[in-house]
Amino acid sequence: MIQLSYLDYLAVEGKSFLHRLSPKLKIIGMIFVLFAIVTVRNLPGLFLLYIFLLCLYFIARVPMRIFPLTLYPLIFAVLFIFVSQFQIRFILLVFLKVLCGSTGVVLLLATTPYPSIFSVLGKVLPSTFVMALFLTYRSVFILLTVLEETQHALYLRGGVQWKHPWRSLTNISNAFGHLIIKGIDASEKMYESMVLRGFKGKVHHRRE
Amino acid sequence: MSHIHLPDGVLPVWLWASGFVVVILIWMILLRVMKKEELTRRLPLLGMMAAVMVLGASVEIVPIAYHVNLTVMSGILLGPSLIFLATFVVNVILALFGHGGITVIGLNTLMFSIEGALGYFLFHLFWRLLRRLSLALFLATFLALTVATFSMIGVVSLGTPHYEELIHQEEGRGMIGFEFGKEKGGHQKEGVPEKEVNLKRFIAIILSLGFIGWVLEGIITALIARYIHRLRPDLLRLEKESR
Repeated sequence: MIQLSYLDYLAVEGKSFLHRLSPKLKIIGMIFVLFAIVTVRNLPGLFLLYIFLLCLYFIARVPMRIFPLTLYPLIFAVLFIFVSQFQIRFILLVFLKVLCGSTGVVLLLATTPYPSIFSVLGKVLPSTFVMALFLTYRSVFILLTVLEETQHALYLRGGVQWKHPWRSLTNISNAFGHLIIKGIDASEKMYESMVLRGFKGKVHHRRE
Repeated sequence: MSHIHLPDGVLPVWLWASGFVVVILIWMILLRVMKKEELTRRLPLLGMMAAVMVLGASVEIVPIAYHVNLTVMSGILLGPSLIFLATFVVNVILALFGHGGITVIGLNTLMFSIEGALGYFLFHLFWRLLRRLSLALFLATFLALTVATFSMIGVVSLGTPHYEELIHQEEGRGMIGFEFGKEKGGHQKEGVPEKEVNLKRFIAIILSLGFIGWVLEGIITALIARYIHRLRPDLLRLEKESR
């Protein structure tokens, strides 16, 4: 999640053809990828889709630093493998579906700024939901700053040590508690400043 | 652990589609029941708590594939109706990071909401009975996570015929399927086709890993609540019940 600000930077600053493509088209493309993941059940088909997404990944010049994000969901997919009798075909099928989904999503995020995705979603989803998405997105950045400061403070004071698990757990929990309190304070201030700017339950997007 | 970290295309369409239908219905009911001004006023808080849950979910305890959800804590701070809206937002954002498939957003929202809403009610019940904040929160979190995990197992087991279909599909066909299809053919000659889906093993693994997670999350939630209670007791709204 710490990668969020970097992903956002890539999406805004990138200059490839995929960055320049309209967000609407990219979301439609992602829907097609999802449709393929749901319907395609043979390994060569899914493998081809994965190769295609990887090609797009490199053409869009998305840095390799982000690539591990596409592999992250495999941690959870491993658990699901226990449903089967470890048939290689099933394992590969599940893994390829995971990889296609995560690569598609990372590609979308690394080439499209979040606000653009939300504004496209705003055309089909209720405004309350899109508003909540926007505020969550904004809040993640506010909280990341608080989290980084708290993390530094914790490490500088030796707050997390494997030798003292209980103390470490208490300190980590206190850090989360601190994050929540700071977050609630910030949300109150955010609401007041939004009302001052004429907020009436809807955010209007500038067309770019 | 209490929500489905499954990729897209693994669960049958009817199952994940019904998840979305139920979520949309609940959304519609909540938006009608809740006062618009109240909802607008609390939206920034909803966004902030959703962000806390997103950050909590990004801290992975890799050996047991567990992360804290903080759903019960958020449920207590937001209330049972807003937690539903918050969990939907959280699941959309998490799915955009590949943390669970996009198609399972509906089902995951239901699991998370069960956890948050049940946690809220159980916490208030235990608080009235025990009058001990940490214990009440630990028990509420532990039980809410247990129920949510069992409902997740229930949902996954509903897709059993579909997994069998996925396992057997293309047997004896295709480049890779051919090799392994031949092996399986040997088993099936002996008579009744062998059951390939082993839910018992899956449940055993989920419950054993989940148990560690429930205890861990219960402790963390209790400690967080203790910290909040020390600094901002008004947030937990316990005064009314104390009288």
